[in-house]
Amino acid sequence: MSGRRETVRTFQKQDLLLIVFAVLLAAAAFSWFQLQPSRGLVAVVEQEGNVLYRIDLDQQAQTEILDLGGPYHVTLAVEPGAVAFQHSGCPDQTCVRVGKLTRAGQAAVCLPARISVRLEAADGEQAFDAYTGAVQWGKGP
Amino acid sequence: MDKSKKIASGLMVVLLLIIATLVFLWKQTGALQEEPFTSTSFAMGTYVQQTVYGENGEQAAQEGDRAVQELENKISWRVESADVARLNAAAGTDWIDIAPETASILQDALDVAERSNGAFDPTILPISSLWDFGGENQHFPGDAELQRFLPFVDYRNVRVDAEQSKASIKIRGAAVDLGAIGKGAACDQMVRAYQEASAKAGVAAVGGSIGLYGTKPGGGAWRLAIRDPDSGNDKAVEMGTLDLKEGFISTSGSYEKTFEEDGRTYHHLLDPKTGYPADNGLVSVTVVYQNGAMSDALSTAAFVLGLEQGRALLEEYGAGGVFIDRDHRVTVTENLKDAFQIVSDAYALAE
Repeated sequence: MSGRRETVRTFQKQDLLLIVFAVLLAAAAFSWFQLQPSRGLVAVVEQEGNVLYRIDLDQQAQTEILDLGGPYHVTLAVEPGAVAFQHSGCPDQTCVRVGKLTRAGQAAVCLPARISVRLEAADGEQAFDAYTGAVQWGKGP
Repeated sequence: MDKSKKIASGLMVVLLLIIATLVFLWKQTGALQEEPFTSTSFAMGTYVQQTVYGENGEQAAQEGDRAVQELENKISWRVESADVARLNAAAGTDWIDIAPETASILQDALDVAERSNGAFDPTILPISSLWDFGGENQHFPGDAELQRFLPFVDYRNVRVDAEQSKASIKIRGAAVDLGAIGKGAACDQMVRAYQEASAKAGVAAVGGSIGLYGTKPGGGAWRLAIRDPDSGNDKAVEMGTLDLKEGFISTSGSYEKTFEEDGRTYHHLLDPKTGYPADNGLVSVTVVYQNGAMSDALSTAAFVLGLEQGRALLEEYGAGGVFIDRDHRVTVTENLKDAFQIVSDAYALAE
């Protein structure tokens, strides 16, 4: 470098360092963002396979009762980080017996009302790919 | 000249660095970013859950749903036009034509029935319909009724000709109920549907049975949870995990379908020899096998046989098994020792 002030500055060592630094910073931020164990538990409430509600359970500040109505007057208890069938007028009561769902991948179903509640992780990282064994399952084929 | 060369090579280094970083991060996080298509539906009197990976995940899941529905319309004894309903109606008369899928499931059922010496019996309908588990009329039918219908339960009354797609029931009054094999068979059909739809990978769950298809995106094994038989009442939890690359998994648990009457709890896993719920200390048997229908039938057979004979049956088939008894002792077959892990303090390995 000549040191002559009037030279048009194009690209200098400091700039290179700056760029490398910026890239590293961006990479670090990106990795941090990606690897962050974002909890983000979402309750997906479905009837006949159609989504009725998607509730972010981490944003839930207090217990709320969600009235789904229908012939069985199904109600859900939505809590911070948990959801449960609170009431169903169905004969078997298996959905209520399942209790609170607290982890991604868990599900509870009221077969007579055809209502299901399952927990999804907002970041797509389920604790389990599937549950074997089922508490219920009305009449077989 | 020298200076601009330096600049150029400097820029190249920066560019390469950026590209390398992006490729690395993309590789690292690519698996997480691939969102599977998930769907839930109802069929076979149960809850069907699908998770399908790949561009045509949605289409594959729809094909999966259709496959279950079609199968139900063939193997249900409740659907009048179904093969099984027609077979039951023709009991004691002649052979009837059935779909190849029905013939294949019947054949699997008879195979497990024979090798389990009738601990699993597809002709349980005269008894299972008396109990009517999960139905509106579920009740203890009384010993006299059970004894009256027990002689009709015998898998040897069923004959299947898979080549001709025909079947028959020898005596009037005998009847087939594929409830203890149907959900696993549905998993077979769904996995086949994923394959035909060229999905990348997927998990099909019908009631308590699971079918795994393809390699889990991101590598590694599929992680399955075995439900804690004591779960419920604020404890929807798992007692153990199974890490599997492939296969079909079915669980028979005495907690799955029950009712109480006069202070007694009855569960739906009936012993075809007695007509009563099997009572041998087991509360749950999970079976891993290469065929969904067989995994389902084997879990029922092993449950009814009890730990020792059940384990011997699974070994004969080369199937894997996790047995849980009512004292929370867990027995795992040799071939699942590495895949299985207990995650609840309430359970411990036997021996």
